[in-house]
Amino acid sequence: MNILLLIIICIITLIGAVYAGYVRDPYAKLIGIGVIGGGVMPLIIARGYADVAAALAVIIPLSTVFVLQLCRKGEP
Amino acid sequence: MEASEMSEDILMSLLDNLPGPFASPMLQPPAESAELAAILCGMIALYAVIRIIFEPDVMRKLPFLNVFSFSIAGIMALMIPHPLGVIAAAAYFIGSTFESNAIASTWAGGVEP
Repeated sequence: MNILLLIIICIITLIGAVYAGYVRDPYAKLIGIGVIGGGVMPLIIARGYADVAAALAVIIPLSTVFVLQLCRKGEP
Repeated sequence: MEASEMSEDILMSLLDNLPGPFASPMLQPPAESAELAAILCGMIALYAVIRIIFEPDVMRKLPFLNVFSFSIAGIMALMIPHPLGVIAAAAYFIGSTFESNAIASTWAGGVEP
């Protein structure tokens, strides 16, 4: 496995984590959480756990949709 | 001849000692072109993330989130030569598109009551 690709993926995940921590808008925060989920996924695939990745690919968008309903309810 | 057999034995023993379900010597590593394509997809993903960060409007972040998700799906399909990896990449493709569309729909106000 190429080390350059893994370094790029780790940089993407770190950028998404810092962005989701510091941004104020709740929708932008959800976008940052989506970036974290996307960055973690090739690291799981690189280790060989493709079934775990297939399960996470269903679970992460569902959790985002549930948090999104809470976001919408908080709006005045 | 002897040295190449020796290095092959060392590689096989190293692969046997690694944990994980796909670390077997029966599995061929992907070709160099696949690695180059995966690195190119990674650079596209990095560019999309930088554009997501420096875009001030939330509505304009969402197409770049889609670009990021598609490049990640490409990396996942190119990384391991196994059918389950392709299935995981397809599931991530569908799920991430669904997620982006849900965020965009809620941001736009959804269905009128």
